[in-house]
Amino acid sequence: MGITFGRGGATNFQQDLRNADCIIIQGSNMAECHPVGFQWVMEARERGATVIHVDPRFTRTSAVANQHVPIRAGSDIAFLGGLIRYVLEHERYFEEYVVAYTNAANIIREGFQDTEELDGFFSGFLPDEGKYDFTTWQYEGVGGTVPAGGHKHIYGEPGAGKGGEHEEGSARFEAHKDPTLQHPRCVFQLLKRHFQRYTPAIVSQVCGVPEEQFLQVAETLCANSGRERTTAFCYSVGWTQHTVGVQYIRTASILQLLLGNMGRPGGGILALRGHSSIQGSSDIPTLYNLLPGYMPMPHARQGYDLDDYLKDHASSTGWWSNLPKYMVSLLKAWFGDAATQENHYLFGHLPRLTGNHSHLQTVTDMADGRVKGYFIMGENPAVGSSNGALQRKGLRKLDWLVVRDLTLIETAEFWRNAPEIAAGDVRTEDIQTEVFFFPAAAHTEKEGTFTNTQRLLQWRDKAVEPRGDARSELHFVYHLGRKLKALYAGSREGKDQPIHDLLWDYPTHGPMAEPSAEAVLQEINGYTVADRRVVSGFSDLKDDGSTACGCWLYSGCYADGVNQTARRKPAREQSWVASEWGWAWPANRRILYNRASADPEGRPWSERKKYVWWDEAQRRWTGEDVPDFIADRPPDYRPPKDARGVDALGGADPFIMQVDGKGWLYAPSGIVDGPLPTHYEPPESPVENALYGQQCNPVRLEWRRRDNPLHRAWDDPRFPFVLTTYRLTEHHTAGGMSRWLSWLSELQPEQFCEVSPELAAERGLTNGGWATVRTARGDMECRVLVTERMRPLRMKGKWVHQIGLPYHWGVTGRLRASGANDLLPFVADPNVEIVESKAFTGDIVAGRQSTGERAAADHSPAEPLPPDLPELRRDSPSVGDVPHDAYQEHLEQER
Amino acid sequence: MGQKGFFTDTTLCIGCKACEVACKQWNQLPDDGFHFTGMSYDNTGALGASTWRHVAFVERPVPLTGLTKGGIDFSWLMMSDVCKHCQRAGCLEACPTGAIIRTEFDTVYVQPDVCNGCGYCVVGCPFGVISRREEDGRAWKCTLCYDRLGEGMTPACAKACPTESIAFGDLDDLHARAENRVRKLHEQGMTDAYLYGKDAENQPGTGGLNAFFLLVDKPEVYSLPPDPVVPTMKGKRTWGMVALGALGMAAMAVGSVLLGREARS
Amino acid sequence: MSDSNGNGETLLDRLQRKRDGRNVDPALGVLSGEGSQQRVKDPEGAYPAHGQQVTHLPSRAEPQREDAPSYYGLPAVKEPVWIWSIPTYLYVGGVAGAASLLGLAADVMGGPRLAKLGRRCLWVGTAGDMISTVLLIHDLGRPERFLNMLRVFRPTSPMSIGSWVLAGSGGLNTLGVLLAHRPGWMGVVGRSAAAGAAVLGMPLAGYTAVLLCNTSVPIWQATHRALPLFFMSSATAAAGSLLSLLPHAPHEARVLRPYRLAGKVAELVTGVAVARDAARVSEVARPLKEGVSGALWKTSRVCSAAGLLLDVLPGRSRWKHVAADVLTTAGALAARFAIFHAGKASARNPQATFQGQRQGLGAAEVKGNTLAADGKPLKFPLPVLR
Ligand SMILES: Nc1nc2c(c(=O)[nH]1)N[C@H]1C(S)=C(S)[C@@H](COP(=O)(O)OP(=O)(O)OC[C@H]3O[C@@H](n4cnc5c(=O)[nH]c(N)nc54)[C@H](O)[C@@H]3O)O[C@H]1N2
Ligand SMILES: Nc1nc2c(c(=O)[nH]1)N[C@H]1C(S)=C(S)[C@@H](COP(=O)(O)OP(=O)(O)OC[C@H]3O[C@@H](n4cnc5c(=O)[nH]c(N)nc54)[C@H](O)[C@@H]3O)O[C@H]1N2
Ligand code: SF4
Ligand code: SF4
Ligand code: SF4
Ligand code: SF4
Ligand code: SF4
Ligand SMILES: [Mo]
Repeated sequence: MGITFGRGGATNFQQDLRNADCIIIQGSNMAECHPVGFQWVMEARERGATVIHVDPRFTRTSAVANQHVPIRAGSDIAFLGGLIRYVLEHERYFEEYVVAYTNAANIIREGFQDTEELDGFFSGFLPDEGKYDFTTWQYEGVGGTVPAGGHKHIYGEPGAGKGGEHEEGSARFEAHKDPTLQHPRCVFQLLKRHFQRYTPAIVSQVCGVPEEQFLQVAETLCANSGRERTTAFCYSVGWTQHTVGVQYIRTASILQLLLGNMGRPGGGILALRGHSSIQGSSDIPTLYNLLPGYMPMPHARQGYDLDDYLKDHASSTGWWSNLPKYMVSLLKAWFGDAATQENHYLFGHLPRLTGNHSHLQTVTDMADGRVKGYFIMGENPAVGSSNGALQRKGLRKLDWLVVRDLTLIETAEFWRNAPEIAAGDVRTEDIQTEVFFFPAAAHTEKEGTFTNTQRLLQWRDKAVEPRGDARSELHFVYHLGRKLKALYAGSREGKDQPIHDLLWDYPTHGPMAEPSAEAVLQEINGYTVADRRVVSGFSDLKDDGSTACGCWLYSGCYADGVNQTARRKPAREQSWVASEWGWAWPANRRILYNRASADPEGRPWSERKKYVWWDEAQRRWTGEDVPDFIADRPPDYRPPKDARGVDALGGADPFIMQVDGKGWLYAPSGIVDGPLPTHYEPPESPVENALYGQQCNPVRLEWRRRDNPLHRAWDDPRFPFVLTTYRLTEHHTAGGMSRWLSWLSELQPEQFCEVSPELAAERGLTNGGWATVRTARGDMECRVLVTERMRPLRMKGKWVHQIGLPYHWGVTGRLRASGANDLLPFVADPNVEIVESKAFTGDIVAGRQSTGERAAADHSPAEPLPPDLPELRRDSPSVGDVPHDAYQEHLEQER
Repeated sequence: MGQKGFFTDTTLCIGCKACEVACKQWNQLPDDGFHFTGMSYDNTGALGASTWRHVAFVERPVPLTGLTKGGIDFSWLMMSDVCKHCQRAGCLEACPTGAIIRTEFDTVYVQPDVCNGCGYCVVGCPFGVISRREEDGRAWKCTLCYDRLGEGMTPACAKACPTESIAFGDLDDLHARAENRVRKLHEQGMTDAYLYGKDAENQPGTGGLNAFFLLVDKPEVYSLPPDPVVPTMKGKRTWGMVALGALGMAAMAVGSVLLGREARS
Repeated sequence: MSDSNGNGETLLDRLQRKRDGRNVDPALGVLSGEGSQQRVKDPEGAYPAHGQQVTHLPSRAEPQREDAPSYYGLPAVKEPVWIWSIPTYLYVGGVAGAASLLGLAADVMGGPRLAKLGRRCLWVGTAGDMISTVLLIHDLGRPERFLNMLRVFRPTSPMSIGSWVLAGSGGLNTLGVLLAHRPGWMGVVGRSAAAGAAVLGMPLAGYTAVLLCNTSVPIWQATHRALPLFFMSSATAAAGSLLSLLPHAPHEARVLRPYRLAGKVAELVTGVAVARDAARVSEVARPLKEGVSGALWKTSRVCSAAGLLLDVLPGRSRWKHVAADVLTTAGALAARFAIFHAGKASARNPQATFQGQRQGLGAAEVKGNTLAADGKPLKFPLPVLR
């Protein structure tokens, strides 16, 4: 979404779902995983909206939806692509909206070739590197790469990280547009050609969805979009956890732009985030390649200084032209008075990227003995992360491990009761890792904010003091930092200088010297350096070192010296948008891109869907929400040719984060696996790709290692069934917070699998009995739940069975079972390094036959592929051998 | 005070079991043991001494009229069951000790300090709700959060329900609300929807339930009796038969003595 | 899977469990409310859906009959929680009541020659009441709990009425035993007390039937007309048989014989009536035909019939009489246990509840309504799902 619209956050808020006329929940089991937010879906349904759930399984969401569409896991691009084709074919798109607010009219360079022509590849594929060169994907008439989401934050993107070598894009793109959308190389025509193949027949072949049902969904969607009506999409990890996860979301984004559903009430795309503050942890990131507020992490390169960085990442037009203000303010917040203009605000102190440092890569590095120590705070990778045995192998090779958690989770106990230890393949005595376990204070025992799925920051007070040795994260990190500063106080070495210069002055209180969370929030909000007054928003930030701000995106959360996130005005005392409850980034906007809720002239598209509009009398944008636009820029403003920065945004350019202010139907950059979404099969699939010669995402991340074996690309006779993993309402993720609690444990007491009656009959499984599920990585015993909620799908005359596996169980706690993640491999999306956990293959047999053997403990429970069956290629033979290894090794070879 | 109760609308239930957990937490009830039942997503089975809210999961090979579209021949019903707080409560009428009382909120409450564990209420309830605890044999069931109502709070289960499937309030309001709801659902095509146990007219055998339900399939499907009756309604007849029997017994006794005596003389 | 199987535990495992898995105060995880001290019955294996073949999907939810819906075949009402002492009490209490009654008749109308019989009856009644109380207390767990029963008098509760009846009968009988043979006013008090106890003996023999019938247990409720008569005649037969088994004079036998024969005949007849009441609904009658309760019921019918037959067969052998009376006693006891277990079995079978109500044995029986709770006709069987 960041690429398409400019920001990665959910575009609307859950309460707004009640305004939708149709809600398509796909790739999420919203009722089970977001039950509280789901009340708004129920309300919409009660108000007459049609709720459609597209999911491999009939879930509690399907139970209350109007329609359930069973789909094969891993085939959503085909389904959504089919919808796009339907919309284009039957001219159901919102033409005015598309022409005015998207890049449909832009013309693409002549050299661009589509997957149509190249059988599953776009032009620019570099087989030896396993990635794309974006040059041919660009807009005609624009030099260099058009920065996506306003700036180049994707690693390895040409032009990024090269210290301003790239050409500055010209400010405007008008010269190369065809507003009639007829030019054969304009985005709109490209789109039409690209999705031409995604016919209802193909959809049914690839997804297993009958044609009539598909057409019914398409019709419902179109009938509920347009001027008077809006449709919302909700997705979650059923979409993201694929090797083409980002493209799933892209497909939906394109669809929503075509239908004119973005920026409008009851429309949008609601990304349902997981953990209570997972949105917060990407805003102020725990991600290795980002700095707070989605500023890219600098790369390790000799002599790369602040100027180079700013030149690289500040766009010439659009909101991101403000980057220097945000970056300098961040450095001032971190280094205080030590940061001066002369020393480039100590930009040199920032850590640099030397390659891929993602979770998966780090774990393989650990397994290869390249990592010494590891902090795990609030995560349980031994259960929650793919290829659990490889995760534990990594932990075994560490010198030291720090785990901070509420309970003695599997990750802290991997050395004594992991399955491979029970199987005898690993001995506790041989493990050298020193494990430090710190009890953590739970959310009720500390104060601070959560940033929820709709970008809403909500302040939470401390209810009780933490017991015993339990401490908050803030306490741990603050005092760790303090001790480190003390430890290095005497050091004069240059590499220790950042520790000296770090501003670390949070006030503490109480007998435990708990740092003040409010002080942290104030720093995040930003303040003027001179008099330490909180700023009122990011527009107050300066690039001259006079302001400091911990995260520009959150600037305003402490405006007027008031903790805006702690506001709790009841809904009945304010408008339905409830702007005075908590505080949402950016600038307390609840629906993003809401300028698009008005037509180019600034009038609401319709009375029914009125939200933000231009008030001619006041000469301002006004409405239900904080306008997501330059407040006083009239609709008819057209930027002069030489306009730079924010001035270059026209009065009808609602996507202000983008350089061109448009929603990107076509992404000339920013996304490494193609400007348009393309259906590829998951790395392990029951079928061959029906659309292209290329089986899988050609730039996927694949770790080819003995401890991470993959099955045959498709049609592996050893592993004939599709496995998919997911959550249950009754448990929470890796179980650290639910498997220890009897009231939750009794509700879902055992690891089970969900199978259809047909599969049960085929494999002799009885309801309530035992079964063993196997992959090349490991095996797992579980109970069997035979249910008609699982349906075999008919695809190309072949029956495909899917097996559902909740993944909450592990070997400690009140409930014990081997975890489903021990079945999964490491393969990931190349854009965001999210692992494929929703579609892979496996086998199931009746009875308790688990061996406890794990490929990552040098023992695979699976027999090898019969010798008479050839391996099948994931990449088309036409491109030869493509390296999909993780980036790190690559880079090392290069050096 | 007024009459308080629950209107549980099963068409709004998403089976999240928040009610079940909230009840256990508030009342500090133990778990029922960890057993995989194979009954859909229901692993606690039924209401009992340690489970005062219970969510039932019914998998049906038929669509749900008025909701299911798109050729799917399947539906999944969820229903959060609870003590009905009957107008004529079998448990209360059966209890020999007066442990079960009707509160100022018109709810049915077991006083744990008075109950002496005779177990008679267990068989007195036509809904199989109340149950005896294993070791000391006292009887337990939903209190309708008597302790919370006293403080003007909403019962824990209703408070936790995210979709307002459980509506708590004054009985009159709930009745009005429920009737509107049924009307609306019928308009929307959900013609199977009906109220279970709303009042004496709806359920003569119990005089109506303070905790009544909106259902979309036969009561049996949810483990609810189709025509429940508080057993005491049949008491008069039974006592009549005892009177008859007493006559018979007396006749037999007197007759034999007379016979035996006459035979001697 | 769940740690309840507890095998292969290490010390750390135990420590961890003891400390609730957290390195924090284990008291945090301890339940503290009044209801929290419950121990819950281990229901493993109790789930009908377990181990079902795929041809019998839970989603079809029709374990008993093709066209009868239920919730996975789980009971719709709760099974009685009582133990063996309750059916035993049903027998003992009945005998006590019937014996007291005969004692009164003998006393009042039998003249001095039957005084001894009267006194024996009084003793039997008193002993019966005592044993009954012990049996009830055994079920309740603690003696003071029987006293709690007398805290209130609740006319709607047969158990409350019964407790008062038993207490009254027991008290009066005891008074009778202690005082009836004394001269003067004490004797008058004693004899009146004994008379009172004898009058209470009738409800004592009958209320237990009301106690059972006044429940939601399908077969008990369904037999609410015949069961009291059955219990009372059975009590007569049993008391007659018991008194006949005790040493007695020949002239006393002439009273006892018609008494017990009348009881035996009545018992057999009302036994048929009970079975017929139950048979109105096939699922309700099932426990009288199948399983433990079925076997007990058949045994009891055979014993009772044999007891009567032997009794009326010509012959004066002492052993014949003993055999007849023992058979009758066994029949009466077995009948109590049969009814008790039939109740448990019918409560376990949801179809016994549902079918009975669909056939008009629910509220319709007393209220005359013709519609079920879903507003549809009560008629059973229901239309099949699908
Ligand atoms: N109770 C509870 N709530 C939670 C959590 C929890 O553990 N417990 N976890 C939280 C977290 S961390 C997250 S990230 C969210 C996740 O929220 P969700 O994404 O809603 O959760 P999942 O159950 O992982 O997956 C959603 C659905 O995707 C389906 N699915 C699998 N593969 C595909 C596919 O290829 N296409 C489509 N269309 N669907 C597919 C699965 O069948 C499943 O029903 O939930 C959050 N909420
Ligand atoms: N197969 C499969 N695997 C998956 C997924 C899937 O769908 N399928 N989903 C993935 C997703 S979306 C997610 S988010 C992950 C989740 O996986 P993890 O993050 O590994 O699992 P959690 O159990 O959520 O771990 C959170 C831990 O934090 C602890 N905790 C809670 N509060 C605090 C606190 O305040 N401080 C500290 N220090 N600790 C705290 C909890 O006790 C818990 O152990 O799983 C991923 N793995
Ligand atoms: S667990 Fe928290 S975040 Fe998840 S649905 Fe419940 S309230 Fe919302
Ligand atoms: S449902 Fe049962 S336990 Fe609840 S009040 Fe009615 S009779 Fe009593
Ligand atoms: S068990 Fe307790 S509450 Fe139930 S009837 Fe007996 S005394 Fe009353
Ligand atoms: S009212 Fe209270 S006691 Fe009753 S079910 Fe709800 S939470 Fe439990
Ligand atoms: S809390 Fe509400 S929605 Fe959830 S199971 Fe209970 S009644 Fe249903
Ligand atoms: Mo997540």
